[in-house]
Amino acid sequence: MFNRAEVIDQNFSRFVREGKLPAERSSTGLAQSGLRPADLMDLFESQMISRHLDLIARVLKNENLCYYTIGSSGHEGNAALGKVFRLTDMAFLHYRSGGFMIQRAKQVPGTTPVYDTMLSFFASTEEPIAGGRHKVFGSLPLLVPPQTSTIASHLPKAVGAALSIHRAHAMGIESVMPADAVVDCTFGDASANHSTAIGAINMASWVGYQNIPLPLVFTCEDNGIGISVATPDQWVERNFSGRPAIKYYAADGLSLLDTYKVGEEAVRYARERRKPVFLHVKTVRLMGHAGSDMENSYRSFPQIEEVEFQDPLLHSARLVLENGLASPEELVNMYEQVRERVRHVAAAAMERPQLSDPAEVRSTITACVHKRKAPPIPSEADRQAAFGGSDWAKTKIPLHMAKLINLGLHDILLRYKNTVIFGEDVAQKGGVYNVTDGLFKKFGAKRVFNSLLDEQSILGTGIGMAHNGFVPIPEIQFLAYFHNAEDQIRGEAATLPFFSQGQFTNPMVLRIAGLAYQKGFGGHFHNDNSLAVLRDIPGIIIAVPSTGADAVKMMRSCVREAYENGRVVVFIEPIALYMTRDLNVEGDKVWCAEYPAPEDEIPVGEFGVHRSGAAGEVADLTILTYGNGYYYSRQASEVLVKEHGKKVKVIDLRWIAPIDMDKVAKEIGSSRRVLVVEECRKTGSLSEYLVSALVERMDPLPRIKVVAADDCFIPLGRAAAAGLPKKEEILAGALELLRDHSKAPARKQVETV
Amino acid sequence: MTKKNRIVVICPGRGSYTSETLGYLKQCRDNPVVADFLADIDQRRAQLGEPTISELDNATNFSPSRHTRGENASTLIYACSFADFASIDLEKNEIVAITGNSMGWYLALGFAGSLDWAGAFELINTMGSMMKDKIIGGQLIYPVVDGDWRFSPELQQTVSRAIDDARAAGGQVHPSIHLGGYAVIGGDSVGLNYLMKNLPKLEHYPLQLINHAAFHTPLLRETSERAFASIPGSIFHRPRVPMIDGRGQIWQPWSTDVNDLYDYTLGHQVHEIYDFTRAVTVALKEFAPDQLYLLGPGNSLGGAIGQVLVANQWQGIKSKADFSAVQKSRPFLVSMGLRNSSRTP
Repeated sequence: MFNRAEVIDQNFSRFVREGKLPAERSSTGLAQSGLRPADLMDLFESQMISRHLDLIARVLKNENLCYYTIGSSGHEGNAALGKVFRLTDMAFLHYRSGGFMIQRAKQVPGTTPVYDTMLSFFASTEEPIAGGRHKVFGSLPLLVPPQTSTIASHLPKAVGAALSIHRAHAMGIESVMPADAVVDCTFGDASANHSTAIGAINMASWVGYQNIPLPLVFTCEDNGIGISVATPDQWVERNFSGRPAIKYYAADGLSLLDTYKVGEEAVRYARERRKPVFLHVKTVRLMGHAGSDMENSYRSFPQIEEVEFQDPLLHSARLVLENGLASPEELVNMYEQVRERVRHVAAAAMERPQLSDPAEVRSTITACVHKRKAPPIPSEADRQAAFGGSDWAKTKIPLHMAKLINLGLHDILLRYKNTVIFGEDVAQKGGVYNVTDGLFKKFGAKRVFNSLLDEQSILGTGIGMAHNGFVPIPEIQFLAYFHNAEDQIRGEAATLPFFSQGQFTNPMVLRIAGLAYQKGFGGHFHNDNSLAVLRDIPGIIIAVPSTGADAVKMMRSCVREAYENGRVVVFIEPIALYMTRDLNVEGDKVWCAEYPAPEDEIPVGEFGVHRSGAAGEVADLTILTYGNGYYYSRQASEVLVKEHGKKVKVIDLRWIAPIDMDKVAKEIGSSRRVLVVEECRKTGSLSEYLVSALVERMDPLPRIKVVAADDCFIPLGRAAAAGLPKKEEILAGALELLRDHSKAPARKQVETV
Repeated sequence: MTKKNRIVVICPGRGSYTSETLGYLKQCRDNPVVADFLADIDQRRAQLGEPTISELDNATNFSPSRHTRGENASTLIYACSFADFASIDLEKNEIVAITGNSMGWYLALGFAGSLDWAGAFELINTMGSMMKDKIIGGQLIYPVVDGDWRFSPELQQTVSRAIDDARAAGGQVHPSIHLGGYAVIGGDSVGLNYLMKNLPKLEHYPLQLINHAAFHTPLLRETSERAFASIPGSIFHRPRVPMIDGRGQIWQPWSTDVNDLYDYTLGHQVHEIYDFTRAVTVALKEFAPDQLYLLGPGNSLGGAIGQVLVANQWQGIKSKADFSAVQKSRPFLVSMGLRNSSRTP
């Protein structure tokens, strides 16, 4: 009794033969739907294919041959939407989109959706989008970027993609979608409660409310339940039907005719008015959430049967029979023929190679199929005109980091026409620290614009725009705010090349002002010193410049990597160093620099070295650090050299991902003492990796000591920098390390304070 | 009940009736359906004042000028394929889809039930006779795989460059068929002469195809218009068996709109590229047949089909040698034209 998949399967043929079919829930007839009879049959076939894919997945899972059983059963009416949306309308689909994908594939002759889906069930390397890395709905020719979609984290990027359409054409940049495209984004009723969904819908409303073009269709496929938790009656309608500037449509997802008709209306509205739409498609969920989900633990047997009787395939059978397009026996034959076809395709797909080698798995982390060459550096005359007289004059005098980055962004906006800068307060105000000062005025509102106050939306906007030809440079105002939204990078942006084998990329340079040491200002939320959240994300580049000149040169490499290789880059700007001019004594201006020549770049991974002695000379002490740590290490090094007569080498990592530790170890060379200075918290910070990497590589192992920030949050006022490594703490650590420890046992060679 | 052998039937194109297949139909007349069919088709040919198929097939000698002329070759090939198709044992085999190469699409329409005998004759004979007065352009063939049937990007590049150069030299040339490991290029005489002269010689390639017009290229747009004017849509029906066209599109019995089918057959199919490689690939992947049945006459598509199997590494076939080995031990491709060659005197 409780293999409901079998029951539902058998019911189809039995009920069709017996004429025991569910009554209509909507009155749209074939004539009003806009579909031809052949179209209805074609959609019905897509529904059947989707159903049989679900059914066979369950059978194969029981034999441990298939790895995914979350199906589309009950949602197959979305096949109608697979016909409504054009191939040029980018579609961000959730995991119940089998019917949609099959139908959309039919818009491209020669595609093989049944086979491709089966390959994904078996995690085959030949599966065209993810190459066996996930069972996702995705396809380059069908313009369906893949994602896991489980927590509605694809909604913010859908907003970004929709926002990019008009802008791309207005700016004349090469984009993926044509000017009249719309974006589709599907999700379930339970998923609509995710903060990601709420945030994205809010942003769409905020944008639409200001009459900014946003041709986007939020397609909520409402099956009334999220795993075991029922969605309250009318919740979706009441929640989303009155949003400002979002037009609400409701369709009967069990009727292909109604779904097609209402879908057409909704998409036409979004396409013609360039406005967001909420398309509420009411479906049912059959066979539980996934193969392992036993519905009888939370639904009564009559309830289960009642829902099963609303099977969209039975509704479609009724429509076909009512319109005289086939006999019951012909429908049963069709159903069985589709089953046989799927079964044989499954058997063939099962023989294909499957992903197993870890190196092969990793090979797509930073893949990029569509590489391109960076545009040339603009002429000096163009640069001068773009900078304007006052800023151009500043390129010749020593400046602090904030202004240098600001000038650097001028050059980037001028050179890379598809870059855009956005975030909280970045436009007219020029950012909290004036880093984007003047850019809005010089490059216009299409390229430099304020976002709403929501980090998730900022990142989603970046990801979505990047899907459509842009290289966005979003700004997160403070590092602590990033944590509110980090999954947009972790779960979405960073995974896109991995899940698409580089067929889709979302290049961007995410600027985040962060880290501690602001002189008593702001407290924890403006001084957060945690980068650990970024460090373990595979494939992203993380830059942490410590000087203004480095920042400019590194930023250029970042944009180049994003533009040429589709990379996701995070650029951490140490706030405390923004306005820092001096190093050792007031007025020494060691931390100021002139604006670097436009061709100067620091390649990703290249670290900097400051040595007190001559090159090649063995240092008494090597300090390994980055960011603010480098600044304070340089202060300490000055004392060590001048007052203690030590030879000191300070390595500024500059890039905290990737780090070439072999090169770092080589640079340390014969130096017998290594001090790791870490401005982030002791636990989980980069220092842990640095020490372990040195231990693994260096033989004999030098004495190593770590001076890191306390495992504490940053307080306000005088104590703001109390638990952070500064000149004094670094000096103390260095002197401790430099004491004669020749008699110390080897296993105590690593210390942490 | 034993499960039937699931097969995809592949219909041959224009070059398949050769001196070696002369007399192909002689021994097929034992099958009463074939005999009826031949009587029907001969009568239709006679009514049009054209040599009958039996007469052509029974000729003592193969005459290239006679047997390869479009108005004769097309219907002759149709008749031979019909005989093979009729000999498929449907007790043991289930036809899960039908496809074909180039004019093989017309045959597929006939065998899948989209056209009845009269309709198929009208389409095939009319299209075959389109070049009766003057052949528009021609076609040549050139390999894009190496000797082991593995795709060669270098050869592909050579072909693409040669096409660009031929155009620059004032010729009109277009890729017309993706034929497994071969590129078939259609064009005018200036363009084709240029290619014949400038494509590097590889064994007997480039090879110009005798009496072939520049089908599946824009040069045939006007022919397409004439076809629409002379062939009515009313001859088309929904197929009984799925068909796969020259784009790889599947036409299902339950969802085919006959107007769309008519438009494709006389429009896109005539003047746009025909992707036989894709059609066979879709047949393999979307129907996963136990075997492919290539209808005769002859076996001229056998290599191209083998090359598609290699390209997809289907059933472990990764090279020409693999294909030969599989064909010897447990043939995946059944070439009915070869099997039936014993019938040829």
